[in-house]
Amino acid sequence: MAALAYADGQGAGIDHARIRRRNRRRAELARHLLLIVVTFLLVAPFYYVFLASLKNSTAIFSYPPSLLPIPLYLDNYHNLLWNTGFLRWMFNTLFVASSVTLIKVFMDSMAGYALAKIDMRGKRVIFLLMLILLMVPIGALIVPLWSLVSAVGLTDTYLALILPPLANPLGAILMRQFILGLPRDLDNAARLDGLSDFGIYWRIVLPLIKPGLVVLAVIIFTDQFMSFLWPLIATTSDDLQVLTVGVAGLRAHGGANYGLWSASAVMSLIPISVFFFVLQRQFLARSLAGALKQ
Amino acid sequence: MTGTAAGRLRLSRAEHRSLSRKARRRRELTGWVFLGPFLACFLVFLVLPVAGTIWWSTRAGSIFGGTKFMGFRNFVELPGVVGAWSSIENTLLFAVYSVPAILVGALAIALVLARVRRGASIYRFLVYFPVLVPGVVAALIWLFLTNVDFGLFNEVIRLFGGKPVIWLGADNALLVLAVLDVWRNVGYWAMFFVAAIIGLPTELYQAAELDGASAPARFRYLTLPLLRRIIFFAIVVSTIWGLQVFDTALVLTNGGPGTATTTVIFRVWQYVFASNNKVGFASAISLVLIVAILALTVLQMRLLRDRRGRD
Repeated sequence: MAALAYADGQGAGIDHARIRRRNRRRAELARHLLLIVVTFLLVAPFYYVFLASLKNSTAIFSYPPSLLPIPLYLDNYHNLLWNTGFLRWMFNTLFVASSVTLIKVFMDSMAGYALAKIDMRGKRVIFLLMLILLMVPIGALIVPLWSLVSAVGLTDTYLALILPPLANPLGAILMRQFILGLPRDLDNAARLDGLSDFGIYWRIVLPLIKPGLVVLAVIIFTDQFMSFLWPLIATTSDDLQVLTVGVAGLRAHGGANYGLWSASAVMSLIPISVFFFVLQRQFLARSLAGALKQ
Repeated sequence: MTGTAAGRLRLSRAEHRSLSRKARRRRELTGWVFLGPFLACFLVFLVLPVAGTIWWSTRAGSIFGGTKFMGFRNFVELPGVVGAWSSIENTLLFAVYSVPAILVGALAIALVLARVRRGASIYRFLVYFPVLVPGVVAALIWLFLTNVDFGLFNEVIRLFGGKPVIWLGADNALLVLAVLDVWRNVGYWAMFFVAAIIGLPTELYQAAELDGASAPARFRYLTLPLLRRIIFFAIVVSTIWGLQVFDTALVLTNGGPGTATTTVIFRVWQYVFASNNKVGFASAISLVLIVAILALTVLQMRLLRDRRGRD
């Protein structure tokens, strides 16, 4: 091939281009190999647990482990769904996370509108306080939060699960940022046309920041889906346990039951996986753009 | 409009001023209505608890009632309280293990992932997937990896003829917890860095390539300096996250063996709700954590202001 190429006048140039192309292809191949190894390492644990969830306890403990779940054993799932509170926990998590998300998306976008568009005395102090307290976790506040919630008699209610997460200032800060990014002329024109602040917020700002709202909803929902420490101490009755608390309870009580644990791990991941699959772009690209913009 | 309507619509200066003041005041009121719901929650469930932590840190007794004022005694005695110092030590050590590994790993993955041409979205999906796993579930999954008898790690070791390791023993437990954290968080920061790398100006790289700069040189003299602020942001935020580790320590190792994986928040929870009634010490140690996090936050805010100044 190479000899043939040299036969005509431009041979050397073609050869050079071919080498470069070949190098580039090699580099691409190396990148793929590397990424395959990395993703394999990251994903293999899921497969191992998925496998265990489809085995009975003797098969889990046997060596060498079979890499395919044959024969298929579904009792772990049956056990999880009908003999534990799993479905109730799942409902509680989805209910609490959806409530927090819905309330917070409205609350934060309204706060963001005020912070971005309206002159108010004391606004700068409030915003500074929000930035400073942004990273303080609920975990460091469980003592005063618990005593506050129990003082007003809210322990062991849905409200105890829903209210404290509403305080997180991240959403309002993000929404302020998004709204500041909108062109100014739009709401000036709307105001001249006689729209009130509420009208501008509802009919102009909200539709324009829709992508930002979706990102915010994704962030809040995932945070709530994963939250553990506050629900653990805020509720005591079985009926109010959220998924993370219930699953942790499986580990804490009733001895080692690896089959049940693996089934609960797999089932816990289903809702968030579906969510992620549908909103992949918002999860990956948009949220990062938002974080970087900040 | 005021011009053509001549005298009839023209307002005296005083009238004009009072009207515009009134309008401004009404607008400000609207602003408070907009901000109100969030602000109420923010004040009651974040500002008040932070202040409350200070109050509680001066008291001794049980959260369920009957505390008394101690002044600063809790802080003076804190280093001597069983488990207080070791929890701080464990938390710092955990951050020292996990944060560099997370960020170096994430940066390496991002450099490769940002340049890959085909299948990038599949890799992104898979790399990000562990990020979505709640800590409790991640810990359950890791029980299956670290089990001495049938855990994946020891199966692999046996496959190569090695001796099984007791992964959750006192010597390894904290390290395993840190590796678990790397597994869970590396994807998050990898995606973060990918977004940053894709946003870098390509002309610089073309120029560097023309000048014959090798790939390591381009990384050292272009990518790294350009990403400096982004990396600093990542270091601060992932450190703050690292200081909060709790869920995995509870479910995977229950703080043990002994106190090997007892972290600060784990200790706080234990002091108050699990066995002891040391609400004052719990608050004092919480306050130490809060102050550390606030210091890191302020550090990062100064960095952000710096950037704004430069733009």
